[in-house]
Amino acid sequence: MDIKTLDHLCELSKLNFTEDEQKKILSEMSDIIDLMDTIKEFEISYDDTKDYNEIAYDDLRRDEAASSFETERLQQNTQPRDNCYVVPKMME
Amino acid sequence: MDFKNVTLSELRSLLDEKKIGAEELAKEFFGEIEAKDDKVLSYITVTEEEALAAAKTAQVRIDAGEAAALTGIPLAVKDNICTDGVRTTCASRMLEDFVPPYDATVIEKLKRDNFVMLGKTSMDEFAMGGSTQTSAFKKTKNPYNTDCVPGGSSGGSAAAVSAGLCAAALGSDTGGSIRQPSSFCGVTGLKPTYGRVSRYGLVAFGSSLDQIGPIARNARDCGTILNTICGVDPHDATSRNVPADDFNAKIGAGVKGMKIAIPKEFFGDAVDEEVRNAVMNAAKEYEKMGAQLIDCSISTLKYAVPAYYLISSAEAASNLSRYDGIKYGLRGEGRTFDEMIRDSRNRGFGDEVKRRILLGNYALSSGYYDAYYRKALALKQEVIKEYNEVFEKADVILTPTAPSVAYKIGAQDNDPVKMYTADICTVTVNIAGLPGINTTCGYNADGMPIGMSMIGKRFDEATLIQAADAFEQQFSPVRCTL
Repeated sequence: MDIKTLDHLCELSKLNFTEDEQKKILSEMSDIIDLMDTIKEFEISYDDTKDYNEIAYDDLRRDEAASSFETERLQQNTQPRDNCYVVPKMME
Repeated sequence: MDFKNVTLSELRSLLDEKKIGAEELAKEFFGEIEAKDDKVLSYITVTEEEALAAAKTAQVRIDAGEAAALTGIPLAVKDNICTDGVRTTCASRMLEDFVPPYDATVIEKLKRDNFVMLGKTSMDEFAMGGSTQTSAFKKTKNPYNTDCVPGGSSGGSAAAVSAGLCAAALGSDTGGSIRQPSSFCGVTGLKPTYGRVSRYGLVAFGSSLDQIGPIARNARDCGTILNTICGVDPHDATSRNVPADDFNAKIGAGVKGMKIAIPKEFFGDAVDEEVRNAVMNAAKEYEKMGAQLIDCSISTLKYAVPAYYLISSAEAASNLSRYDGIKYGLRGEGRTFDEMIRDSRNRGFGDEVKRRILLGNYALSSGYYDAYYRKALALKQEVIKEYNEVFEKADVILTPTAPSVAYKIGAQDNDPVKMYTADICTVTVNIAGLPGINTTCGYNADGMPIGMSMIGKRFDEATLIQAADAFEQQFSPVRCTL
């Protein structure tokens, strides 16, 4: 893995690393990717129509509005203001 | 009372016959926690006040002669299972102060039985790891030797059961996280079939692989807990409505005529000789009891670790993208939205979680998706096909649970590849969505427990419990001396 790929992954993952951390994570990720690469030896392609492990959605709830959690309880894990979630300014 | 040996059935009798009260029993366990948990570090949160109140309510039910299987029984719960009003951290700084506003479905079901929750147990951060050393709060130790890891990710639950700090516990298993710590700590752990137990309220890691299950002192106790927590749930579309009257119904039927398959790939050089020998000796015991041993092959095992890490990390990267510090979780600082999210995630997540997120996003990226993620899905299909073929001829499959016994703390630090490959014996069960149970089959020269795993057909946990119980009945466990 090179630094350009790591930068791209950090953007996707919303993570930052210092220069020293980058060196360490590049080395670790390269070893991990080497391990993942062994799967390429396996000669088979995925068949979307032949998934033995299909998830059965046979007991879905009816799509009806129902009472949910109280807003106050949902907001107990943050610092709401006027019943809203506070975030930094998104648009100038 | 020796809490390292007492089973749920024995506690049920003691409570029902009024030889001990629910509150007194809970206090006994809190005494044990107070005396011993500073050595084991199995609990992140101890809920004494809530537990004693629950015990009082349970006692009323017991006195009325209306006790259910788990009424008044003191259990521990892994800290990635949401508990209304009780902090649920996932052993992560990200959720250090998170208090769920609801109960997971399994907790709701246990509360209907009036169980007593002693507390929340430590684990690898977000269940990512096999040592419980990635916990941000309590790096749990093995009760058999506190220089060794307890396994993971449900290491706190397994260690608490092993050390007698709870009667049994709930864990979760995405790639072996119930079975491997149970093996390391000398207890019994059951990973149910995918869909048997609702995942609602289990903090998501790999959604197509995660499953909640019990860790206890024997297979019967695992069945007792599974009887309570199983079932379809409208909150979890992947839970299945497969009837099961009693998972312990086949206990005592023995294993005469049972066909036990032994896949040769699980007994290769990667597995320590002591472990191989102990599991093969257990196979011979089964043969003596009348079971028929069959050779079989799971040829895809060679690729199982990369397939598992690609699928689970891809799902983890997606699931953990919700942690932005806005609605809940650690809130970072920053003048812009992007800065704030990055700061929250940098400070909230530990190293292993960051590695998995990077790997998951790598596997899902344009240009890599087909080579990694779809290939892993293709392998998943092959693993399922191979297991289906084996189960045409066999009732259960016998394997080691882990390639080694519990290793020294620090031995696998800074070597993620070594840590990942140690999951080789357990991950195919999750990939195929099958049930698996670990029970102790021996001890190595240093007295550390060796676990074996029985793998069953989908939704056939009852046969696994039957087979594991048959072995346990003739095996003399050596409990830890802590």
